[in-house]
Amino acid sequence: MSEGNSKGGFSLFDAEERILDGAKRLLDRMKDGDPQLLSEVGILADAYSRSVREQRRLVKVSDRLQNQMTQLNQELVRRRAEAEEALEQLRQAQETLVQTEKLASLGALVGGVAHEINTPVGIALSCASHLDDSTKAIRALFEADDIGVDDFERYMDTAADTAKLIVANCERAADLIRSFKQVAVDRTSSERRTFRLADTIAETVTSLRPNLRQAGHQVAINCPTDLVLDGYPGVISQVLTNFVMNSLTHGYETGRRGHLRVQVEAGADDLVRLRYSDDGQGISEEHRNRIFDPFFTTRRGSGGSGLGLHIVFNLVTGPLGGTVVLENQDAPGASFLLEFPRIAP
Amino acid sequence: MDNLLIAATERSPEVTFDSAAGTLRIKGESYPEDASQVFGPIFNVLQDYLGQADGKGLKVDFELIYFNSSSAKALMNMFQMLENAADVDIEVNWQFMADDETMKEFGEDFSEDLEHVTFNLVPVS
Repeated sequence: MSEGNSKGGFSLFDAEERILDGAKRLLDRMKDGDPQLLSEVGILADAYSRSVREQRRLVKVSDRLQNQMTQLNQELVRRRAEAEEALEQLRQAQETLVQTEKLASLGALVGGVAHEINTPVGIALSCASHLDDSTKAIRALFEADDIGVDDFERYMDTAADTAKLIVANCERAADLIRSFKQVAVDRTSSERRTFRLADTIAETVTSLRPNLRQAGHQVAINCPTDLVLDGYPGVISQVLTNFVMNSLTHGYETGRRGHLRVQVEAGADDLVRLRYSDDGQGISEEHRNRIFDPFFTTRRGSGGSGLGLHIVFNLVTGPLGGTVVLENQDAPGASFLLEFPRIAP
Repeated sequence: MDNLLIAATERSPEVTFDSAAGTLRIKGESYPEDASQVFGPIFNVLQDYLGQADGKGLKVDFELIYFNSSSAKALMNMFQMLENAADVDIEVNWQFMADDETMKEFGEDFSEDLEHVTFNLVPVS
């Protein structure tokens, strides 16, 4: 392949070939001389000829090996690029899914809060309508000049009662809207600010109340009221929401009332320790080290995306700059411990 | 006399020969299918130049990163050709990356049989 072909006008072993030709001519010239000498020179010439053949062979083999190596290297580079591209696509797909999941949980939150607000607004509306009817009736009596002290007293009682109910229920609705607004803004803007952790926890639990109350679950919050954080309240709210929704989805059979706990301690070195626990069915041994993996779910068929705790993991280790572990515990249920700096990185 | 200008390919080096200046430069990688196609033209111009140098010298710069065995054999032939032109003042600069011990050793091997040719090992970083 490399020698022999003389397109370029030369052979790689040109010099050697000329020497071999010379040797042949020399032997020819010596053929009538001393047979001993002839034989010895002949042996040398043969040996040289074999050596040149061996050189050609080695060069050929070596070239082929080097070629193969180069091709393998190129193949390696190509495969690696492909693998990296696939990984990048996977990352993007995962990112999109995580984003979708976040929006879906926000959607559920909107639905829940709308349902929750419906009750006080409904009560306020029927009270207002009742007051309206009573007022029309008393006005009719008044205009007919037929109003008695009893009628008026009854109307006054009705007016006072309904007004009180209207005010109380409107305040309740306003509270709900306020807390939901905060949660929604934090959740969607992911802006950094200083906030009281106890408030964020309370607002988040309020926004989840429709889901909790249906099955009669209770949430106990134990958090120092003066603990102020500098960071991302939306992230904490999202993390808590995912924990609670997980407890409700997996922890309790229909009819069982759960006790969920959120406990916060301000530790040394400005480290916040937040423990979330429930008293549900707990997490089985075989699932314990997979729960933070993306797409791991035991409820694939019934709408579980397998992203809830993965998102928790990403949010705690990402924006919060902390750690999250599933704790081993003797008590029934599941317990997660979050540790993160009071001032986010 | 002819100049030579061959662009590099994926498997062959860039070759620049300037006969007026008396310089030859071979730069890049060399693992062609057929070494004689790459080195044949270089041999031809060198043979012409060395045959009628007429007092002019020759400077050869090797800037090779990698070459295969038949290219090594071709280089060996080329050095033989340079060495045989005893009447021409020839200087060879063998460039190699400072951390490439193998390329340095190749240079040392090639220089071993040279007497008339000035051979410089030039580490670059």
